[in-house]
Amino acid sequence: MNQDHESDIAHLHAHGEPREGEESPPQFFELLEMAIRGLLVERGLIGANEIRRQIEVLDSRNPALGAAVVARAWVDPDFKERLLKDGRRACEDFGISFYDDTDLIVLENTDEVHNLIVCTLCSCYPRPVLGLPPDWYKLRPYRARAVREPRAVLKEFGTTIPDHVEIRVSDSTAVVRFLVLPKRPEGTEAWGESELASLVTRDTMIGVALPRVLNEEISQ
Amino acid sequence: MNSIEALVTRLPNDIGGLPADRIDWQDHELLPWEKRCHALADVLDFRKIINTEEKRRGVEALGSELIGKLSYYERWILCFAIILFQKQILTPEEVARRIDEVRKEFESEQSANP
Repeated sequence: MNQDHESDIAHLHAHGEPREGEESPPQFFELLEMAIRGLLVERGLIGANEIRRQIEVLDSRNPALGAAVVARAWVDPDFKERLLKDGRRACEDFGISFYDDTDLIVLENTDEVHNLIVCTLCSCYPRPVLGLPPDWYKLRPYRARAVREPRAVLKEFGTTIPDHVEIRVSDSTAVVRFLVLPKRPEGTEAWGESELASLVTRDTMIGVALPRVLNEEISQ
Repeated sequence: MNSIEALVTRLPNDIGGLPADRIDWQDHELLPWEKRCHALADVLDFRKIINTEEKRRGVEALGSELIGKLSYYERWILCFAIILFQKQILTPEEVARRIDEVRKEFESEQSANP
């Protein structure tokens, strides 16, 4: 509750105007949300607690889950094989539940292929393993350009992929979601699973960034 | 291609491959109502009332002008309202009445604790 309140005050409304605290009267679309939810609960079409429980589920999902999956795949070849064969099944076996009816296809980066994921039509994203997508993933520039000029898009993210490496862009749908399995960085051969997971950020699993090891980390 | 032709040949969501601006990394934490709206979308899907693809098409049916003017979750909640009307699960009148009631509740709360 407190956290909600703080984020309400501290962050900007999607349109960019500052939004005041919860004391300010709700605007039209917020009222519409309250009205629809209230009526559906009254009709018994959805449970009063279902929304609250689903908010808890949403809050429990973040890129650390995906990072743990990637790190496991880096250290356990059998797991990696299962992950590439059936991403959803392997993640479920790993303990990550899927709360929606989506398939997960895990795309492995290699010396020959670099993968990038996008949803050109809307904002489909592997939410059970990464949480909610960043705003840029949902907005026009990334959706429009990722499929046409991926190298230019990657460059804006500070990521340069050598010309001889093919860039493969996968376009998500309502029922098929993708996750990128980045390449394990060199110099991490002696690293444990949790150390490895710390290198795996959200953006590396979207494919717009590469896991980075600082030189000091290797020498230590 | 003129602009009318472009409106016909590409639905508003179909923007893959079109020219666009540089990526803007500004992010925002979801507002409480936006998060409730997201959870509502998931619950409507679990309950087989509105699935993800119906939602996507519902947003598209708002047309490019509204899509351009509304924020992400504003589009979602508006398309839920329209789909629920189309499926005759809710009526526009009862939603309008409920909005009035909720608005009045907030107003009276505010005048009670100025």
